[in-house]
Amino acid sequence: MKRARADAVFAALADPTRRQVIRALSQQGAATATGLAAALPVTRQAVTKHLSALADAGLVTATRRGREKVYQISPQPLTAAVSWMADLGARWDERLAALRDHVASTRGKR
Amino acid sequence: MEAIEREVTVPAPSDEVWRAVTQADEVSVWFGAEVELDPRPGGRGVFRWADGTQRHVLVEEVEPGRKLAFRWLPFQRIASGDIATVPSSRVEITLDEVPGGTRIRVVERPAFAGEAQAPSAGRELAALRS
Repeated sequence: MKRARADAVFAALADPTRRQVIRALSQQGAATATGLAAALPVTRQAVTKHLSALADAGLVTATRRGREKVYQISPQPLTAAVSWMADLGARWDERLAALRDHVASTRGKR
Repeated sequence: MEAIEREVTVPAPSDEVWRAVTQADEVSVWFGAEVELDPRPGGRGVFRWADGTQRHVLVEEVEPGRKLAFRWLPFQRIASGDIATVPSSRVEITLDEVPGGTRIRVVERPAFAGEAQAPSAGRELAALRS
């Protein structure tokens, strides 16, 4: 499931405004859509829409407080995405080492 | 975590390295998968791993002797035969002649939504499901 989640995380973070929302949320710790909209150059409605997309990807969680929802960053999916990237890097390390060996072993044999 | 970047220098001229990174039988030796690859812009490729995983690529850019760029399509067949969605990403392999050989530079960058949909991924997806 880690891969599917990394996929959703990358898709959710594709939008530059959503990345701003994540950044603002990480600065504020926990925040409402109203609080985030005050810190960003977008409307509260737009923030709410982006928060909903981020929640679908598991990147934020919402808890109801009175009439408003309070949002918080959920670190696990981000960790999964970072780990997917780390796996990718490790695979290229192996492939490039094998490529170097392959090229060295076929030198002059063609 | 924008992209993976790796570099390695091999003691061989770039034309030999170019064959090693574009000819399917050679790529199969070092990639860790059985590879079919049509190294032309718009060309397709299939990568089959020993564990049954299968992924498809679309070749996006080719500068002979110098640069190959392809995109992993955003799904794979896993060992059970199911189709799983995975992050699409773009791989760029660039060769530069340097003293003592050829420098190979690899950049793999996850595609973000919007650019993630390859124009005709439906063909590969249909093939995987058949």
